[in-house]
Amino acid sequence: MEYLSAGQERTLMDKLAILADAAKYDVACTSSGVDRKGNGVSMGNCVASGICHSFSSDGRCISLLKILLTNECIYDCKYCRNRCTNDIPRATFTPAEICTLTMEFYRRNYIEGLFLSSGILQSPTLTMELLYRTIWLLRNRCRFNGYIHVKAIPGADEELIRRLGYLVDRMSVNLELPTAEGLRTLAPNKHRKNILAPMRLIQNGIHANQNELAVYRSAPRFVGGGQSTQMIIGATQESDYQILNVAQSLYEKFELKRVFYSAFVKVNEDKSLPALPGGPPLLREHRLYQADWLLRFYGFRAEELLDEKRPFFNVMLDPKEDWAVRHLEQFPVEINRAPYENLLRVPGIGVKSAQRIIAARRKAKLSFTDLRKIGVVLKRAVYFITCCGKTMYPLKMDEDYIVRNLTDTKDRIRFGSDGMSYRQMSLFDDEMFMRPVKAQERLQTAWGQL
Amino acid sequence: MTVYQCEDSLEGIFTAIYNAYQDGRSPEDTRITVNGELFLFARYVTVDAEGEKTLKVMNTLKVRFGEDDYLRLCLALSSSHEEKAQAVYQTVALGLGEKCSRGHLFDDLGNQWIHLAFTLARAAQNENHHLRGFLRFRELKSGLLFAVMGPQNNLLTFLMPHFSDRLPGENFIIYDEIRGLFGVHPAGGQWYVVRKDEAAKKPEHRELSAREDEYQELFRCFCHKLAVKERENKKLQQNMLPLRFQEYMIEFE
Repeated sequence: MEYLSAGQERTLMDKLAILADAAKYDVACTSSGVDRKGNGVSMGNCVASGICHSFSSDGRCISLLKILLTNECIYDCKYCRNRCTNDIPRATFTPAEICTLTMEFYRRNYIEGLFLSSGILQSPTLTMELLYRTIWLLRNRCRFNGYIHVKAIPGADEELIRRLGYLVDRMSVNLELPTAEGLRTLAPNKHRKNILAPMRLIQNGIHANQNELAVYRSAPRFVGGGQSTQMIIGATQESDYQILNVAQSLYEKFELKRVFYSAFVKVNEDKSLPALPGGPPLLREHRLYQADWLLRFYGFRAEELLDEKRPFFNVMLDPKEDWAVRHLEQFPVEINRAPYENLLRVPGIGVKSAQRIIAARRKAKLSFTDLRKIGVVLKRAVYFITCCGKTMYPLKMDEDYIVRNLTDTKDRIRFGSDGMSYRQMSLFDDEMFMRPVKAQERLQTAWGQL
Repeated sequence: MTVYQCEDSLEGIFTAIYNAYQDGRSPEDTRITVNGELFLFARYVTVDAEGEKTLKVMNTLKVRFGEDDYLRLCLALSSSHEEKAQAVYQTVALGLGEKCSRGHLFDDLGNQWIHLAFTLARAAQNENHHLRGFLRFRELKSGLLFAVMGPQNNLLTFLMPHFSDRLPGENFIIYDEIRGLFGVHPAGGQWYVVRKDEAAKKPEHRELSAREDEYQELFRCFCHKLAVKERENKKLQQNMLPLRFQEYMIEFE
């Protein structure tokens, strides 16, 4: 393997530095979706919720050992740091090095597993084969039973992808850019069709595997954690509406577990890339994630949140608030009677609080104090709900009024910090006595010290 | 009012609950405490933990409320809140009294005791989940893996099953610095907990294995390289990873 000897003189530390640095723009670092107990012999297990092991200084979680197999890439994607026309240090891990790193980090509880991606070395199929060889060694020679996430390389041999699927927990194919047109301008070597083909392949594999598992419970699992993808936001001219529609169709047609959005960070100087004087579009990315959650867990559709006439998200309001103030005819919602689906649409009520409300109101009528205990964010919800037919404060059901209150920082503080507002001050501020009496104080009272 | 005073442990509190039921006390007029708080006109009963009664209570709770809610009650008891025993007792009494079905013990969050037990359990569960990720093992010269932690809740017995399942072939020890407890897992064996002898001297400096420094350095380098400079957000990092965990983690040394 002469390609490996080129980087041989680098130490493990150098290689890790180069290849972790090269992998950092990949967003997906989740270790969720698979619940697998240890088998008593080999090292590792998986927890369905995923576990974050650390957080880097940009606040993103470090859950998996996120590295590239190699950053020697034959492609020339304009947005990518590892493109072949960039003059940067190049390195390639040997499969054995990846295995040692993963095992040693894992047993010290630094990581939850491995996230292996790669630049394209000579050809997609060769790269895929190297990935397969590495993962095979890790699973069979080192008997690693933890989480593994691998990128499927578009254009690689289908059989390799199929085989790799039985060894890993999650696979992903990067969509890179939301539209085929964007892909053509910025990634001349990649084609939309080539990207969607392995995605479909994995989807079909998962389906076939589910049928197998229904009959034979101990059949090997194919990509048990489902597949994901990621898109770069802000490198091309797409609107939020377009992006959200793409995400929605990916969830529906390809049954993806997650779509990740990555604010474009300008690492190369190129005339086809946009200038971003304000840094990466982080707020836009944030709004897209919020909307993504609304699609997956709250029963919203992309067409409800945005449309052709308003193709971008509101900067001041989150997508749910934005939807609610434009649909005031559906509010206020009566907490003690509304169905689950309607509760979910109230800003300030999440999936968990909605479930708790449903459970709690079977036992007793709920008041606003109870809602706070349940975990409802009243500073947002208060404009849209009633308890036993009453709102918390006298309110106007008026779009301007509510938007003003939702966006006014002063009001937010007034609602948020002490939970009270619009009450006249009085000498006998009974709010002071809401705090339960401590055991210590009871003791002091008994002894006459208080 | 009758006040049952017991030791601060799962066994102590479960035995007290058993005794309160055996004596036919009404829950409204009964308290269970672990820290000797005093009440006017109250009758005090001291309870000694008994294994048999504890097992009986554990069984009843599991059967009546289901595994998940039972686990929540245990998590609530791992907290260091002064009224945890009372909260758990009242929650259990309400659940048994209302004959609530499995998985519905914590439904009535409007009730102050249920809410307290629920919040305590949630806080403990969150910390438990954090520690599953943030705990760091160091390899000692003998090949033994050693981790130190200082959690707010008494979580050692919740963490040991997770790590024994994950690292069945390793000899490892998790040390709870605050409570002086060691969780010991021999390779291929069953884990157990040892209490540190009060009289024993501080453990002398533990010698690390030859390659330990190298892997620590590799991981530090990895964490450093993974951060995207353009997105730097130290505040978010600290929100997600509070400082009290950072002091035990090798990448922040």
